[in-house]
This record gives sequence, C-alpha cells and structure tokens, in this order.
Amino acid sequence: MTANFLIGLREGLEATLIVVLLMAYLTKSGRRALLPRLWAGVGIAVAVSVGFGALLTFGPRGLTFEAQEAIGGGLSIVAVGLVTWMVFWMARTARSLGSELRSRVDGVADGAAWGLVLVAALAVGREGLETALFLWAAAQASGESGTPLFGALLGLAVAAGLGYLLHRGVLKVNLSLFFTWTGVALVVIAGGVLAYGVHDLQEAGILPGLHSLAFDVSTAVPPSSWYGTLLKGTLNFSPATTWLEAAAWVLYAVPVMFFYLRANFRPPLRRAEAPATAAAVAS
Amino acid sequence: MPGLTSPKIRRTAGARLAVVAATAVLPLALASCTDNASANPSGTTDGPIQVTSTDADCKVSAAEAPSGNLTFAVKNDGAEVTEFYVLAEDGLRIVAEVENIGPGITRNLVLTAPAGKYITACKPGMKGDGIRADFTVKDSGKQATADADLQKLVDTGVTQYTAYVKDQTEQLVAGTKEFAAAYAAGDAAKAKSLYAATRMHWERIEPVAESFGDLDPKLDAREADLEPGQKWTGWHRAEKDLFPPAGYKELTAAERAAISKQLVADTEELSTRTRTVKLSADKLGNGAKELLDEVARGKVTGEEEIWSHTDLWDFQANVDGARIAFENLKPALQQKDAALAKDLDAKFSALQAELKNHAKGDGFAYYNELSKDEVQQLSALVDALGEPLSKLTAAVVL
Repeated sequence: MTANFLIGLREGLEATLIVVLLMAYLTKSGRRALLPRLWAGVGIAVAVSVGFGALLTFGPRGLTFEAQEAIGGGLSIVAVGLVTWMVFWMARTARSLGSELRSRVDGVADGAAWGLVLVAALAVGREGLETALFLWAAAQASGESGTPLFGALLGLAVAAGLGYLLHRGVLKVNLSLFFTWTGVALVVIAGGVLAYGVHDLQEAGILPGLHSLAFDVSTAVPPSSWYGTLLKGTLNFSPATTWLEAAAWVLYAVPVMFFYLRANFRPPLRRAEAPATAAAVAS
Repeated sequence: MPGLTSPKIRRTAGARLAVVAATAVLPLALASCTDNASANPSGTTDGPIQVTSTDADCKVSAAEAPSGNLTFAVKNDGAEVTEFYVLAEDGLRIVAEVENIGPGITRNLVLTAPAGKYITACKPGMKGDGIRADFTVKDSGKQATADADLQKLVDTGVTQYTAYVKDQTEQLVAGTKEFAAAYAAGDAAKAKSLYAATRMHWERIEPVAESFGDLDPKLDAREADLEPGQKWTGWHRAEKDLFPPAGYKELTAAERAAISKQLVADTEELSTRTRTVKLSADKLGNGAKELLDEVARGKVTGEEEIWSHTDLWDFQANVDGARIAFENLKPALQQKDAALAKDLDAKFSALQAELKNHAKGDGFAYYNELSKDEVQQLSALVDALGEPLSKLTAAVVL
C-alpha cells in the first residue's frame, strides 16, 4: 500500500510540476484564457498514455524494452528543449506585463498556443506510458486485492493535490519575485528531466556508461523512502547517478541558469536588445 | 529555435517541433514491437516463467527456457517496490527490465531472447545489484519466422559467394596458364603485363585458397618468408625473375619451364579442391576480415610485391573479395544490425574512392610511386574499415 502510494506520488509529481508552474505563470500574467490549451495538452497526454498502455497490456503486441526506454528518454529530452524555450519566452514577456504592449503580448502568446499544448503533453506524456502500464497492472491485480490500485491512485491524487497547493502558494508570491522563481525552478526541474532522459537512453544501451557512477548515495537516500520519492518526483534526483547523467545536468543547468538570470536582471533600459539575445539562447 | 518576434514564426516553430517529436518517436514505436505472448496464453504452450520477488528473495520458476519469446510474470510479494532485470552474460548490459512493480502487483516482462547465457535479477527497494541468478536460453531449433527468413538470406549469401569463388578460380586457372606459357617461352614483356592482373583472381579468394595449408606456400610464398630448406616456387619466384633487382642472376630456360609447370599444376589442384569446399556465413565474415588484414599487413606496406611493386592490384583484389563477402551477407546483416551494414557500406566506398585516385589505365600506380602521405591515407582507411568489419561475423552469425 505505502509502496504503491509512493510510486503514484513520484510519477504524479514528475508529471505535474512543470504543468503547475506553467499554469501559475499564465494565471499570474493575466492570461487565464490560455489555460484550456495547457489542459488540452495534459488531456491528450493522459489519453494517449492510458490508451497505449491498455493496448500494450491487452493487445497482441508489446513494446520491446529498448523501445520503451528510448521513447521515455527521447520524450524527456524533447521536453527539456521545449521547457527551456518556455522559460526564456516567459522571461521576456514578463517584462512587458501590464504595459501598453499587453495586446501584442497576447497576440504573441496566441502564436505559442501549440507550443503550450506540446509542452504540457510532453511533460505529462514522458512519464505517462510507464505510469499507465503500472496502473493497468495494478488494475489487473485488483481481482486479488484492491489496495495496490487504490494506493497508486491515492499517490497520483496526492501529487495533484500538492500541485494545486503549490499553484496556490506561488500565486501568493510577490510578482517580481515570482517570475524569476518560476523560471529558476523550471530550469532545475528541466535539468533533472534531462538527466533522467539520459539514464533511460543508457539503460536502453543507446548511450554508454550505465555502470560508471558519479556517486551512489542510495543507502542514505533509499529510492523507496518517502524523501527519496520526493527528491525523485520533484527534481528527478537519482541516488545512484552516472557520470553522463551528472555531466548532462551540470552542462544544462549551469549555462541555462546563467543566461536565464542574465536575461532577467538585465536593466530595463536595454530591454530592446533582450529578445534577440534570449532567442539566441533558447535556440 | 528561430527568433520569436512574430506569432507566425512561433507557430511554425511549434509545429515543426511537434513534427520532429512525432517523426522521432513513431517509427521507433512501430519498429520496436514484440509479440505479446502474455496477452495470448493459448498461443504459447509453456506458460510464462513465474518470478516471485520478496524483500530478500528472488524465485524464478525455471533456470532455463527455449529460445524465442519469453514471458516473465514478475510478482512482488514483498513490502518494497521491486524491479526485475534480464542481464546479458556479463551482468552489465540490460537486455530487458520492468520497473515499478509495487507490492501485490504482477507485471509481465516479454522479450525475444536468442540462445545464450543470461542473468536474472530482482531489485527490491530499487537499489544495489539485486538478487541475481543464472539463466540459460537453449536453442529451441524451431526458430521464429523472422529467424527462418534470416537463415534464408544467409544461405543465399553463402551460395552467391561460393559461385563467386568458383568463377574467380576458373579465371585464375585460365590466366595462370597464359602467364606460365609466356614466362616459360621467355616472353618477359607479355608475362610482366599478365602478372598483376592474373594474380588479382588469386588475391580475391585468398582466404579460401589459404585454407589449403599445403598449396598456399607453394603458390604464394615470398622470399622473405621462406623457411630454411623450403623450395621456392609460385608467383613470387617468377616475379623476382621478371622484375630482377640489381645483381640478380637470371634463371635458366629449364628452371623457368619447371616453375611454370609447377605453378599451373598447383593452381589446377587448387581449383579442384575449391569445388568441394563448404562455405558458411562465418567463413565469409571471417574471410572478409582476413582479406583486409592481408591488405594492412602486406599490401599497404609494399611488402607483397617487393620487386614488381604491383601491390595496389593485390590491394584492390583483396578489397573486392572482402566487399563481395560483405555484400552477400548484407541482406541478413541489415535485419540484424542495419547500422553496421550502413557503416560498412560507407567505409568500403571511402576506401574504394581513395584507391580509384591511384588508378592508371587498366591498373594502378606502382607502390614505389606513392608518397608517404598517400600510403598513410590508404592505411587509415583500411584501419577504419577493419574495425566495423571485425564485427560482421558476430553480427550475422550470433
């Protein structure tokens, strides 16, 4: 029960966090009208995952292990690219908030509609397949006892609840702090997603170095503990991290954070230059 | 991503990303399906292999299984989340795994396993090396349909190569007779002009020819490699006489006639023996590698044809032989390791393109006309090809 709850919680948090931060951003910047786009992306991802999971569980064909890992890993890496783009987009549009440019910004946001759908779909979808396979297995087991499925669903629900609380919480944050904070959080989370994607590809044998560990703290932070679950769910922290994962994290998070902070704290007078720089960084 | 200054650009950027994501994932998903034996219990005679994972134990209901599609039904009877792995014999490479098996849950792991040794592991708590056990997959004899098709492709390749060997041997016999006649008659100019071109037929099928340990030294021994007391006959004996170094004492007409006669007799003997030689995919694959090693050892160094300097003819012939073997195995290789097939294609082409730069008329530049850099360039391309070529046999046969 507890263990299944923790699985649901972890997978739920992994999927929820990015969506919640983007939601908070849209709300805060007075563009709630775009929320349905985000939800559409989430809905598509859930529907595809559950459908695909059912097909793979009950259909005549399954996916090879390499394919599962390659899909998970590949989607994660694509998701990182999109989230990075969103972060810089947010940093840039945040400056023109409340200004006479509002209508133009809304026009711009409209153009990014499919981007929003895609980010939400990827953030949820990359974990969706694995979670769906787990849920179907739990559902099959519910003939013997309902607790595994119940535990897993409860975990997902708690993850959603935590996401909601976070959403409410960040809404109370002072506006100028908020934008920086959301972006920083997203960069850190995206770094974790990238490292996780790299690990998936290592497991599939597509990338080397699965057994070259940078550090292994799994005795201090057992993956099955509640704090291990939270660390994994929020930051994608793996207690046994390979060198390649660690390198991917550092090489992503450090420069992106640098450019993000620079873009954010640039003096307003030089605002005119910002779009070009940020666009170059995001590409 | 391009600049995000106008809504139009952004929309295309988003759409393009969506296309990229879809194109990256879809073929992968379609190409990577495996039969879901578990979903169709009536289709398999033996049920799934039962694995029971507890916090301290990992019970696998069988220690061996026939090759083909295997299903492990992994039940978690412990209190912690567990994972189940099938590892390669080295215990490092993951062949297949299923993660997130919560307590009370059974999840299936389906994989297509060729015969071989494996290691199974349960990992309760998702940390450490897991509780491991050896697992053997035995050759079931009745191979899956894909394997049967593969075997057909391999067989076709071997048949084609056997025909190639036959054809080259016939040309070798005819060419050798002509060369020997000119040489015995003292027509040095004609013999010289036939020398390199005729030897190409020999060099193309060298691994097969060399498999007859007694004939190879009689036909192809170089002076530098002679054992004490060994009688020097064959191609290189004639070569030294036709392209004499300074201070060399010419052979008499009788000696030339004897060498010619022996050369023809040995070549005919070779031809007779190759008629019954049994080739197989591993002989093709290893032969291709041997041919390339020959190039690296003798031709690219100019040691093979130390007097005539016609090493590039032999070089080309060795590469021909290796490439034909590879091409005959290629349809099978493309099923087993398409990336390797592509790599080999590219590296053969690169080497061939470089060789072509040294072509002159019907033949090639002499080895002693090549600059040091040109030799190095050829050598680098041979090495680049040798590395993937050494994987050919294992990729097709295993």
